Amino acid sequence: MLSCDNRVQDTTDDGRVIVRYWEKWTDFEYDAMRAVVDDFNKSQQRIYVEMTQISEPDRKLILATAGGNPPDVAGLWSYNVSSFAEKGALTPLSNRLDAVGINKGQYIPALWDICSHRGEVWALPSTPSTLALHWNRRLFREAGFDPDTPPTSLTQLDEMAEQLTIVEIKRDNETVRVRYTELTDSEKAAKDFRIIQLGFSPHEPGWWKQAWGYWFGADLWDGDRTIEADSPENIEAFEWIAGYTEKYGVKNMLSFGESFGNFSSPQNPFLDERVAMEIQGVWMYNFIEKFSPNLDWAAAPFPSAYPDKLPNVTIVECDVLVIPTGARHPDEAFEFICYVNSQKPMEKLCLGHRKFSAFIEYSDGFVENHPNPFIDVFIELAKSPNGKTTPRTPIWESYEDELIVAADRVYRHIATPRDALAYAQNRSAKAMARNLRVWDATAEARKKEWADQ
Amino acid sequence: MTRGERRKFWTGLAFVSPWVVGFLVFGLYPIVMAAYYSFCNYNVLQDAQFVGLINYQEMLEDDVLWKALYNTLFYAIFSVPLGLIVALLFAVLLNRPIFGRSIFRMLFYVPSIVPLVAIAMIWLWVFNGDVGLLNYALSLIGIDGPNWLADPAWTKPTLILSAIWMVGGAMVLFLAGLQDVPRSLYESAELDGAGAAKQFWHITVPMVSPVIYFNLIMGIIYSIQELVRPYIMLPDGGPDRSGLFFAVYLYQTAFRDLRMGYASAMAMLMFFIILLLTWAVTKLIQSRIYYEGA
Amino acid sequence: MPRFGFQATRLILMIVICGVFITPLLWMVSTSLKPLDQTMQMPPRWLPYEWQATIDGQLVAVDLKDSEAVVKAGGPIKVEVAEGPSKGEPHTLDASQLQRKIAPQWGNYKEAVHEMREFPRYLRNSLILCTLTVIGTVLSCSIVAYGFSRVEWKGRNTLFLVVLATMMIPFPVTMVPLYGLFRELGFIGSLKPLWVPTFFGTAFNIFLLRQFFMTIPRDLSEAARIDGCSEFMIFIKIILPLAKPAVTVVALFQFLYAWNDFLGPLIYLTDQKDFTLALGLQFFQSQQGGTQWHYLMAASALVLLPVLLLFFFTQRTFIEGVSMSGLKA
Repeated sequence: MLSCDNRVQDTTDDGRVIVRYWEKWTDFEYDAMRAVVDDFNKSQQRIYVEMTQISEPDRKLILATAGGNPPDVAGLWSYNVSSFAEKGALTPLSNRLDAVGINKGQYIPALWDICSHRGEVWALPSTPSTLALHWNRRLFREAGFDPDTPPTSLTQLDEMAEQLTIVEIKRDNETVRVRYTELTDSEKAAKDFRIIQLGFSPHEPGWWKQAWGYWFGADLWDGDRTIEADSPENIEAFEWIAGYTEKYGVKNMLSFGESFGNFSSPQNPFLDERVAMEIQGVWMYNFIEKFSPNLDWAAAPFPSAYPDKLPNVTIVECDVLVIPTGARHPDEAFEFICYVNSQKPMEKLCLGHRKFSAFIEYSDGFVENHPNPFIDVFIELAKSPNGKTTPRTPIWESYEDELIVAADRVYRHIATPRDALAYAQNRSAKAMARNLRVWDATAEARKKEWADQ
Repeated sequence: MTRGERRKFWTGLAFVSPWVVGFLVFGLYPIVMAAYYSFCNYNVLQDAQFVGLINYQEMLEDDVLWKALYNTLFYAIFSVPLGLIVALLFAVLLNRPIFGRSIFRMLFYVPSIVPLVAIAMIWLWVFNGDVGLLNYALSLIGIDGPNWLADPAWTKPTLILSAIWMVGGAMVLFLAGLQDVPRSLYESAELDGAGAAKQFWHITVPMVSPVIYFNLIMGIIYSIQELVRPYIMLPDGGPDRSGLFFAVYLYQTAFRDLRMGYASAMAMLMFFIILLLTWAVTKLIQSRIYYEGA
Repeated sequence: MPRFGFQATRLILMIVICGVFITPLLWMVSTSLKPLDQTMQMPPRWLPYEWQATIDGQLVAVDLKDSEAVVKAGGPIKVEVAEGPSKGEPHTLDASQLQRKIAPQWGNYKEAVHEMREFPRYLRNSLILCTLTVIGTVLSCSIVAYGFSRVEWKGRNTLFLVVLATMMIPFPVTMVPLYGLFRELGFIGSLKPLWVPTFFGTAFNIFLLRQFFMTIPRDLSEAARIDGCSEFMIFIKIILPLAKPAVTVVALFQFLYAWNDFLGPLIYLTDQKDFTLALGLQFFQSQQGGTQWHYLMAASALVLLPVLLLFFFTQRTFIEGVSMSGLKA
């Protein structure tokens, strides 16, 4: 009756199997994948990949899979893998991978690890990323720092941030702009100023505010069955977060934050030079090129609280490709995933994303010709022993929510770090116990079911 | 039943049969199943497993759930009566002939029919702490406005204030009710020397009391299940979960975490609360409702 | 005299309150026509503008390179020509050479549609859904309402109480099992879960139509019965034509409901190609991170516009319909 019903077509007019692929990126990242998909389609007689852009892909994919109408391939984030696998929303890939000879040895080890869960591989990487300190060299010069010497410890970063912060304050009925370090002690205590430029904020961009513990030596869990939200290292990290609003004032920091523009715009506070230092991923280079090409910047490993014991801390993540449960053409979908995971297409894709490749080996000139002048920083971080991955537990999403809430409460001085984390620990440990209860009761049956696929 | 009666019975039933089928499939079945799932471990992808009272036990210990319930009730307790009062006052103001009356009525009513998504979007903008229109207006009268949706103390008031904007439907109902109040009542009250306030309390309020009751019940039912506005304005519940509503938490539990058993238990609690409140309000004010000819 | 004073006070009061009520909508329109930097301006200006200056005897639009504060202070101001062949040319001007001109950015609407990517599809889906649900509702509700009002049968009133009671079932309570049900039926990922149920009647609309049907004199049906008409023929030939105003109201309500519905589409529509405008708008916002306010407001205005138009042209029918829905049973 209507064209919108029964739209799921299995083959193209010339008889090729249609693989429906949900892509999560827009913009240049989309274009990069588009090019790879086009290459694949050109190389194929049998399969045609139909690519659609989807926003909030994790939510949409879980709904579509639960509703029995998933795509054949979908792009997710690595931290989704455990929870999706445990819910039964993904097709295990181990047997298929063995058959085609794709194995851990080819990949940067951390990346392979984040694609597996409970002994099975559920996804393959598409584009990897790591995080590093980005700083504004012009603002460094203005503040009297050597623009090529980034802070090497968190303490040093905090000190430099003070010098890089400019505030507007009323003195003798006149509004003046001064550096934070030029304020008198009583002015610092009164906090009656407006932030114009900020050296650093643990809440900007705020995408990893739950994960600062890594830079203090925390792991957030024991790698198996125990949540460690309230470890001394993590409490220390949260005390450091609270220190920032303690120093600059909760209201001042929040108002300053409200004035920020969209991340992907010239009004991004790092790009319009209102924030001097920021933690950002390998992709940042792209946004700098696009929105603020004259920005004088550099990148280096984000310093940890204990640089001697803990060098080169970062978070290693990647975009992944998965086959949802109930996909109509899993074999064809897998063939496409394998294609993306061969060296040339992988490098084409990652170059398009301005990222590094997920493989240990690069083709000649990949690094040298990479447009990002600091790409080696990010690659080295990816191979660092302190390259952390998000806890691979199916409860990570709710655990992360708890940590985010805790970080916000601490940042706003609603709760002390100890209390906020004790609360997060309590709730997450309960969630973990609930999950393990179900898992322990069904583990054998499920493992067998996976092994058969 | 006589033969004629029997024929009429089947004819009548034939006419209402679409609804009967719809009710059984889309009304009764889901409720029964929700009750069943509330005792199960269920995620749609695997078969439901009966687990007894575990979901209900977990609800007792889930402080986020209680916080969400508190937020929702807090919202309902303020927004429902406030909305009623505002709607009734507007209706009274509009009841007597006034220049441009139908335009005023239309303007009041418009906000209650525009898409909630768009409304939520507009409010996000108006309540922006830094460049929002509201804080600018407040600054004109010397008030340093709060960071509304970014401040845990102000998220709920923000949602309450923005709800009052949508009282148009209730207002039109009041207006219809007021039109039915005989003029003679006011005239004789005026002869007795009753002032405007007295007339309002002793004539207007009792005469429209059935409409008050209707709006009150509907207001309670809708505010307890309010989902769209808080979901769009505060998708993750806002700072410190201060704006996390019960229905939003339920939605996320069901469709993000796929914990549908637990979500069903929450749904049962919501249903129970709505029934309880409806019953309590009815008991409380039933004797004070004035029915024409009763 | 006091009466007149009272009237005047009342009128002023009404105007003020109405002003407050309508401000958010006007603010939406105003924002939707501004360039991005003006949306963030404090103090805000209602009318979007651009700067113009007379350069070489020609009035041209210019981009301000200094802040507005400099203009106020009256010092020399750096500008760049914003249009014409000498675009990008820098100049330094005196404040008196500059003037503000009202310049709504209609292009924002085009951009917003473009940024939403699938806008035409969303629109098409919304219209399909509105049409189907209006047909479904009008058909089913009028038939059912007839059974509840024009035929006398045992148990009718009891069953009608059940109809009224179903209005109290909150959607969040039934959404999980409904999702499972639609999954079994293979409806997820299509528009079906949103329109199929409307063919089985909705309590509120049944109630509305029943109220109206009750007001039609019984004699009309009786006369037709004596002529040998079946109940169905009476419904089609006599009652339905008479009930046109009420049916219109129901159709209007249903159209609005389908157009505005967000929760249903959010849960059941998994494929971006199936999204309705309301859902598309929210995804646009979540994608944006919600800060390109001029585009967001333009998109919101576009979603809102059909509703407003419909309302303006049908407001009398509308208000009567709402008034009818008050409990007078």
